[in-house]
Amino acid sequence: MDILESIKMATTTLVANKLRSSLTMLGIIIGNASVIAMVGIGQGAQKLASEQFESLGPNVLFIIPGNQNAQRNRDVPKTLVLEDSEAIVRQVPSVGGVAPQIQTRQSVTYSNKNTNTQIMGVTPEFLPVRSFNVAKGRFFSNQDVKGNTQVAILGPDVVKKLFGNSDAIGERVRIKNISFLVIGVMESKGSFLGSNQDDTVYIPLTTAANRIIGRTSPYGLEVSFISVSAKDANSIGAAQFQISNLLRLRHKITTEDDFTVRTQKDVLTIVGTISGALTLMLAAIAGISLFVGGIGVMNIMLVSVTERTQEIGLRKAIGATQQDILIQFMIEAIILSAAGGILGTFIGVGGIMLVGAVTPLKAGISPVAIAIAVGVSGGIGLFFGVVPARRAAQLDPIVALRSA
Amino acid sequence: MQNQLSTASEALSTEFKQVIIRLENISKVYGMGETLVHAIRDASLTVEQGEYCSIMGASGSGKSSVMNIIGCLDRPTSGHYYLDRVDVSQLGDSELARIRNIKLGFVFQQFHLLAQLSAVENVMLPMVYAGVKPGERRDRAVEALTKVGLANRLNNKPNQLSGGQQQRVAIARAIVNRPVLLLADEPTGALDSKTTQEVMDIFTEFNESGITIVMVTHEPDVARQTRRIVWFRDGEVLHSHLKPEDINQLAVS
Repeated sequence: MDILESIKMATTTLVANKLRSSLTMLGIIIGNASVIAMVGIGQGAQKLASEQFESLGPNVLFIIPGNQNAQRNRDVPKTLVLEDSEAIVRQVPSVGGVAPQIQTRQSVTYSNKNTNTQIMGVTPEFLPVRSFNVAKGRFFSNQDVKGNTQVAILGPDVVKKLFGNSDAIGERVRIKNISFLVIGVMESKGSFLGSNQDDTVYIPLTTAANRIIGRTSPYGLEVSFISVSAKDANSIGAAQFQISNLLRLRHKITTEDDFTVRTQKDVLTIVGTISGALTLMLAAIAGISLFVGGIGVMNIMLVSVTERTQEIGLRKAIGATQQDILIQFMIEAIILSAAGGILGTFIGVGGIMLVGAVTPLKAGISPVAIAIAVGVSGGIGLFFGVVPARRAAQLDPIVALRSA
Repeated sequence: MQNQLSTASEALSTEFKQVIIRLENISKVYGMGETLVHAIRDASLTVEQGEYCSIMGASGSGKSSVMNIIGCLDRPTSGHYYLDRVDVSQLGDSELARIRNIKLGFVFQQFHLLAQLSAVENVMLPMVYAGVKPGERRDRAVEALTKVGLANRLNNKPNQLSGGQQQRVAIARAIVNRPVLLLADEPTGALDSKTTQEVMDIFTEFNESGITIVMVTHEPDVARQTRRIVWFRDGEVLHSHLKPEDINQLAVS
């Protein structure tokens, strides 16, 4: 009996038991759809993250206080200070711009409205280094930084929350009961890794340090981190090396660094690793449901063998060999799981397209994931079909025919 | 005296009639060690081309075991079984399946039709395993169903047919591969007396057209319509050539 014949026979049986067949397939459908959707969405997240990093500004490096171990285990050392950033400007030739930043969260009030938002103390260098622009009004100058002036540039979301549609420039907002004059509104930048960059108030670094946070470090004016732009793409490595050496000298480090210099690529790799691990985890969970679906197929096939004992006996009596029966049951299992796999693929792809339509996550439809998922579900049919099919094939026709 | 006579006639007929079944000293033992069950003890039996033969006996007499061996569903523990002059007593599973497919036709008490298939599809099934070309299958199945008088029920599913009709579909399925031997295991056991007669008429008709038939039955009325009765007791062939009219005597004894 050829394979086409077996497929026809298996299909007839499966179609005759529509409800059972579709319920059995459901497990595979759900498993397959979730594998494809999870992998697709995970890849979309990865792509989105890397796009956002590329929009950070060209050739950016970040200097973060503490090293990787310290960051995890204890408090961040308060050793990264404004003077470090000034030293980098003076002494590192491969650096284009240096933008020290202090950040905190505070409530911002305008008349009777207030919003809890991110306060960013920066210098004018922040704009070129991070590729930010002012939409309306102006950014503050170095003069403002030196003079501790109480001026603020608002992110567009802060403006919307506090001022609605009216003009914010020239108005006064209060942060920690200190009055700030709004002199500009930032261009919209969207969110970055889930944090909304438009929901931010920019004030001079010195003002933030002295009036909002207060000097807390014995080494000088402590900063949250320093963004640095290298002169060009080729000097990123040099900048990283030179900055590290300079800071080690300044911090008198003999053993472990108390800071970390990250390039955009480093950060990208970290984000890639994290989202890759997340994708893997999601895919693993989805894979488990695929596995459970496979067990469902085996379960139903075993029930089917028991229920169809007489049919098997009859088929053997009229000339089916063990191999014929084995193949027939295997094919039934494979059709169930492969059809479930294909249906699940459509649903998974549909889910990805839905996510792509309603969120900024441009989830990729991965042909590899589809091929693997369909292949795996077919394989599951093969794997979980073997036990019931062998049981069917080895039934003694006499016993099978007598069981009524 | 009668035995001698029939042996003589048997010897005479073998010269021009082919032997379909030759069982030589067949034994069948089930179980192991202490719990051995001797289902068949050293039974020998010959059935020739064109015979219409029923196997009778009390339950446990070994008639079903012998039927399983004749039907190549089971292998004898010892002895030889020549089917159509080929020794099939110790063939492998696949070879037996092949022999069941092309040389034997089965009719069962419970019909054993596949519920999801129509009458004609059920009849086509043995040809699927025989590798008959798809185009030829339907024609032959329709032909077989016509022979059993079901030309107008081709596309009915088994649950749309009466018991007698279902058994006729099963008979059509049994003859569609043109077997050398038609085996029936209690073919009327699930039928009422009217449909029993319907089915028996078909068997008789087929036998008259030359098909060799062996059936197991416990119904004297059914056995009486065959032309030869083999009587089993305690796993042995007690009578190998009873005539239908002898059955009354036997039933009394």
